[in-house]
Amino acid sequence: MIENYAILPCNGLDKCAGAISRELAIKLCENDKNEIICPVHFRVAEKKYNKIAGDHPLLVIDGCQTRCASKLAAEKNLRIIKKIIIAEEAKGHGIELNDNLRITDQERVLIDTLFNELNREEDNILSSSGESALSCEFDYETFQNGKFIFRIPKNGEVLYNENDCWAWVNENRARIGVTDYVQQNLSDILYFYPPEIGDEIDQFGELGSIESSKAVFEMVSPFSGKVISVNEKLEKNPELINENPYELGWVAELELTDPEGDKELLIGFEKYLEITKKKVEDANVR
Amino acid sequence: MSETTFMGVERNLIDWKPTIDYSKCDYCMECVEFCPHKVFEVRENEEIRLIVKNPLNCVVFCRACSKTCGPDALSFPDKNLTTQRIKDIRKEMESHD
Repeated sequence: MIENYAILPCNGLDKCAGAISRELAIKLCENDKNEIICPVHFRVAEKKYNKIAGDHPLLVIDGCQTRCASKLAAEKNLRIIKKIIIAEEAKGHGIELNDNLRITDQERVLIDTLFNELNREEDNILSSSGESALSCEFDYETFQNGKFIFRIPKNGEVLYNENDCWAWVNENRARIGVTDYVQQNLSDILYFYPPEIGDEIDQFGELGSIESSKAVFEMVSPFSGKVISVNEKLEKNPELINENPYELGWVAELELTDPEGDKELLIGFEKYLEITKKKVEDANVR
Repeated sequence: MSETTFMGVERNLIDWKPTIDYSKCDYCMECVEFCPHKVFEVRENEEIRLIVKNPLNCVVFCRACSKTCGPDALSFPDKNLTTQRIKDIRKEMESHD
């Protein structure tokens, strides 16, 4: 069950997804064990909600990708423990949201479904596995640009895609994460949206995402395969990606479907170093 | 700055760019602000105020701008088809070598 959470919905009246976020938050608070944070009131009466936010893990319900509630949480330095985006959930459930703010039967079904899913997920967290199957010792090359230091592992086992994700490969398994270039660009990472254990991912498919107050970064999987492990520490401490995206900040491990075929479209350390240096230079030119 | 190749393939042979659904776009310009590659261009005085100006600047497989789009007005090609296309081009290139 979702219990003892502080719930921050976007409450937006710009589109239906905002109205749904409000209804879902109300439903989640009907059991008396969760507390709503009103985003409008929070802006002008911070004190009222600081205690609630400080005492409870935070569930953010964004209506759409504008992510107003997430941005508000970032602004108030609140750590998000769990979040959903109504528009994305609607898509995932094949529900087209209506153009006005009234909740119709269809949206009501979505609210009930999300309510049940959130509660079920919460129960599953206690039993999910997240054990790492690999041990990796990285040997770094570093280069500096201004105050930014970029580390790039030069181990032969590590391969990269041109979307700034790395993979440590060991036979038919790989541990995957983002590179320093990503974490430096995003700056403080506030939320980790993990892939699910058991998910089958295509090469270059989405392997979860990470989010800062600046942007959302969709992790592009270097390999195809089945998710066998997720770094659960990131769910409570996504800043580990900023600290070191290769060691404590790894993202997931895959059992690989076609390692040799996938490798054809990946690059090694030297090429990735060259590409990263060029990207950093180009960014400075702008 | 335009990437000239991606995975060894000429960038202009890879069809990867955002498409704007003007029936949904509300010209909030979040995507313009977000994209560091200057893929979009704002045209203040025209009826269509936002266009995909530099599609070849778009990083292949990146869909980050669509994650900033509140009205969900940005779409991208299918990733698997694009991957297959890149593989096919690379095979063609190898057979010419």
